[in-house]
Amino acid sequence: MKRIFFAFLLTILVAAPALAKVSVGQPAPDFTLSDSNGKSRSLAEFKGKIVVLEWNNPDCPFVGKHYGSGNMQKQQADATAAGVVWLTINSSATGKQGDIDGAGANAYIAKVGAKQSAYLLDPTGQVGHLYGARTTPHMFVIDKAGVLRYMGGIDSIKSTDKDDIAKATQYIPQVLAELGAGKPVSVATAEPYGCGVKYGS
Amino acid sequence: MRSVLVLLLSIGPVLAAADDEHVNLSLLSAHTALVPGKTSWLALRLQHEPHWHTYWINPGDSGLPTKLAWQLPPGYSAGDIAWPAPQRIDVGELQNFGYEGDVLLPIPLDVPTDARPETTAHIVAQVKYLVCREECIPGKADLTIDLPVASAAGAASKQVEAARAQLPQPAKWKGEASAHGEKVEVALHGADLPTISDAYVMDRKIVNYAPPQISRNGDAVTLGFAKSDYFTIAPPQIDLVVRAGARAWSVRVPFSSSP
Repeated sequence: MKRIFFAFLLTILVAAPALAKVSVGQPAPDFTLSDSNGKSRSLAEFKGKIVVLEWNNPDCPFVGKHYGSGNMQKQQADATAAGVVWLTINSSATGKQGDIDGAGANAYIAKVGAKQSAYLLDPTGQVGHLYGARTTPHMFVIDKAGVLRYMGGIDSIKSTDKDDIAKATQYIPQVLAELGAGKPVSVATAEPYGCGVKYGS
Repeated sequence: MRSVLVLLLSIGPVLAAADDEHVNLSLLSAHTALVPGKTSWLALRLQHEPHWHTYWINPGDSGLPTKLAWQLPPGYSAGDIAWPAPQRIDVGELQNFGYEGDVLLPIPLDVPTDARPETTAHIVAQVKYLVCREECIPGKADLTIDLPVASAAGAASKQVEAARAQLPQPAKWKGEASAHGEKVEVALHGADLPTISDAYVMDRKIVNYAPPQISRNGDAVTLGFAKSDYFTIAPPQIDLVVRAGARAWSVRVPFSSSP
């Protein structure tokens, strides 16, 4: 009976690959993934801290824009210095663009000088689907109470040009500053832009 | 210091060479000459390698629209791209709008009344585009065309004429959009409504990009879209392109405020 139920559950999971929905103002769903060092990490372990989620694919040119310019690393360094937890998540499926293992992730972190708290591997796309992650980058901010406060694009100018970064509103530092000051978040959603997340088919 | 620079360069986006990376770009003119005081048409031709695509003004879940910046002689001005109806291009579960194969993006060019016949207008278009199969490559190209100014426009390009004839035609249907819970509905009314096969919303942050549910009742059609996960406030109006087979229409409808 248990086995039948499990098979039924699997059927539901396989049959419903559509991107799930999280909403600003609602609790951010918990998840557990392995980080680049093989350690199991869950969102729950960071309760009481502000958490940023960043969807990543090292080979995506939009990701390259924000790492090639140093914009992402600076945002990571500033956030983590202020006590924010920054989790970079890679949902590229096995064999798809951006698919890396833990050692590959650590080599990438070293190469670009990334400053996230942890780099999490999601090759099944389970957490990407849970959050409805569409693009790389795609950003989420969760407050100390575990409530989603921001979801969307990294900034306001949709392009692959590094020259646009200085002209754009960088949403994550803005959200973090507002949350830190106890103010309402002025821009709580922005449509994400970038490469499509390379989910398995 | 130098190693830092090399490192930064090595992780930056790879720029495609002008014409040899998955899409061939060229600039065409609707006529062999430009006429002072008239609107002429140019077209950006995109010839995609099989399986590669570029994007519509609203690229959908991912991607970027093709963008143009112009260097024109004094007094000339180029308008916005007149976007052909897009194709749906789905990669995995992401829904995109764009173009495959050989496509022309027409652009109106206003020629000043004081343009002097028997001179040549040197026109440069800087194109920025994103070309994707599953992976994406951003590209830039400077395209140039030199066109004589004359009292008559001269021979017409059949290709550009055909592309313009296929553009979505402005429709006179009445309609309105409204948000209900998780849906955005667009109601259209008109005795001449075609059998609509698909519809695309040009504006962002309004609807999710899966095909709408289409229901017809006499002279009325309702297009039922899933509301965007990023919908915040209803805009005053939205622009749609509606397709019936190979034909397409553009229509602007007011957005009624939520009940």
